[in-house]
Amino acid sequence: MRIESHPILTFEKGKIVKFTYNGKEMEGYEGEPIAAALHAQGIKVLGYTHHRNRPRGFYCAIGNCSSCLMVVNGKPNVRTCVEKLTEGAVVETQKGRGELK
Amino acid sequence: MIKTDIVVIGGGPAGICAAINAASSGAKVLLLDRDSQLGGQLIKQTHMFFGSQKQHASVRGIDIPGILVKEMEEYKDNIQIMLDATVLGIYEDGVLTIEKNDDYIKIKPKGIIVATGASEKFPAFPNNDLPGIYGAGAVQTLMNVYGVSPGKSVFMVGAGNIGLIVSYQLVQAGVEVKGVICRGPRYGGYAVHASKLKRIGVPIMPGHRVIHAHGKDKLERITLIKLDENKKEISGTEFDIETDVLCISTGLTPLGELLWQMGCEMKFIREFSGHVPVRNEELETTVPGVFVAGDVAGIEEASSAMVEGRLAGLCCAKKLGFTNPEYSSLKEDYLQQLHDLRSGPVGDGIRKGLAKIVV
Amino acid sequence: MLKSTGIPNEKDLESVIPPKERLAKGPVAIIECFEKIPCNPCYTHCARGAIKEFEDINDRPQLNYDICNGCSICVSHCPGLAIFIVDETYSDTEALVKIPYELLPLPVEGSFVTGMDRGGKPICRAKVVKVQNPKFQDKTPIISLAVPKELSMVVRFLSLEDYYSDSTIICRCEEVTLGEVRELIRKGYKTVEEIKRISRCGMGPCQGRTCQQLIMEEIAKATGERIEDIKVHNYRPPILPIKLGRINGGEKNE
Repeated sequence: MRIESHPILTFEKGKIVKFTYNGKEMEGYEGEPIAAALHAQGIKVLGYTHHRNRPRGFYCAIGNCSSCLMVVNGKPNVRTCVEKLTEGAVVETQKGRGELK
Repeated sequence: MIKTDIVVIGGGPAGICAAINAASSGAKVLLLDRDSQLGGQLIKQTHMFFGSQKQHASVRGIDIPGILVKEMEEYKDNIQIMLDATVLGIYEDGVLTIEKNDDYIKIKPKGIIVATGASEKFPAFPNNDLPGIYGAGAVQTLMNVYGVSPGKSVFMVGAGNIGLIVSYQLVQAGVEVKGVICRGPRYGGYAVHASKLKRIGVPIMPGHRVIHAHGKDKLERITLIKLDENKKEISGTEFDIETDVLCISTGLTPLGELLWQMGCEMKFIREFSGHVPVRNEELETTVPGVFVAGDVAGIEEASSAMVEGRLAGLCCAKKLGFTNPEYSSLKEDYLQQLHDLRSGPVGDGIRKGLAKIVV
Repeated sequence: MLKSTGIPNEKDLESVIPPKERLAKGPVAIIECFEKIPCNPCYTHCARGAIKEFEDINDRPQLNYDICNGCSICVSHCPGLAIFIVDETYSDTEALVKIPYELLPLPVEGSFVTGMDRGGKPICRAKVVKVQNPKFQDKTPIISLAVPKELSMVVRFLSLEDYYSDSTIICRCEEVTLGEVRELIRKGYKTVEEIKRISRCGMGPCQGRTCQQLIMEEIAKATGERIEDIKVHNYRPPILPIKLGRINGGEKNE
């Protein structure tokens, strides 16, 4: 959910871009972190862990904890809390450690 | 390989101030930050700052980077800024390696000021790793930088200044805050923050702990238990609260990896929430030419981080032979400001910590 | 206890509330800052020098009530939002309380909101007299609320929800609204008994169990009487509904 009005802040947003999440087309703002764009659509689960297959969302949102790893444009282990959204990005849930293609 | 006089690692309040003062003393400075803008965590602080005018009291945190960057422009001939640049390591020969937009860059400075800040602590309870359980800084980033609401309702763990302030900011962003808990019988943050929350209608519940989080793929519910005066659990007092976000504000811990790599002597100081470097009054560590400022030197407020940055910048430059004409009076002023900020009852822990670490 | 509840106690408040004589002279700042923290913008922003110079930045602010004219500059500059202005000379029955308010939407001048106490409890209906939001206040608007005079040191926040709207139902049985009760009080019916007889509040099936206290509170607010001093209405049998036939038949062996 986006915050529409705020007593202190005004949000400068980039242009609207299209991207896909697990094949589903979505919209977000260019330049915002991928995890923020997904969260705005209610998507909190970004990946599943290697050993115990536990769901993972972000924890720190500033690139410290690497809890937000996803596959972006075929590249695994992208920290989506700091990776900027671009037009046409292909974003996928990461399962385990990811595979290099 | 880039060569420069001083590298400042971290462009938050401490790092920017360090760069300004090193540059104003005549040193060539390279200021590094991993984010694409300067300001560190200031860019999400919508509340007015405490302290005095010298530390921009009564100005909102979000407006402080702008003021500092403007000040930095006066010395633009001496300051180079490199953003989106993450320092990966510092080696024995004094070379820093950096990753910037998939490039690998090496830097060899004469002096280093480490202002890397802190990271958030993570409490242990079953299912603490469920999506929907976020650090307080993450919640701030999401709502105050990117304008995305963290959820329908939030429950806050931790009632220090950050927990109380973020709770207030959540209400400002239109999110229901179901309660704020802390383990002790008294909350740790400033009373004015607690009073502000209380009259807005947010319950403050000292003497509670989260013992379990529940949810299939993401957080749906938490179980709390009451604690007695000594923070011991009172069995039979467990109860559940439904919430889709649990915000963790149980403190920060200094980010000192680079200091360890350089061989700085580090000590675990309880009052500073982790390992911090042994240093002198001028903020120089046990490795000559390596200075620290801000949360990496011990968790404190942004106001003292700015003053520490100025002191470290001034002294690091002096060490390399760039002596500010007003060195003595500036140094005295910064030490006095730090003394004042830390002199009251809320500075008790900081003074205790400093006594153990400053040589 | 302030440090466990977030609410100052009476002793805390005593130290920041000016004497009656000063309150009778006009607006004055109430600085509800009870803890020694490193912070001094109230002192540096006061153009009149009403706040004593801080010897130590951790000092608590000390206000000279005679120099302070209640100008409210300090209200929007206090990082803790801990300063309020109270003007007990606003009218015969009402005081003006100025409150820093950083939420959206802002209340509308002339509208009615609910005055909240320091614990976030609704306490009275309050009229929004003014909404000040000039640029120098840097997004900390100041809301002036007219509240009953005796609540000038109680109301410290507001809710846009009008808990005390005239359309609020007071008596569930007879469906009497708060507006109707207020109108009766205005007309001079100032006891529960009178209001009961004229409006039927308390004459329905519950016999006043749900409405009586609300009516007492309303009378107290309007007259300034203490709730302890307000008389309840007469209690007559039967106190719960009973079929007339039961009574009509009398006792079995009568």
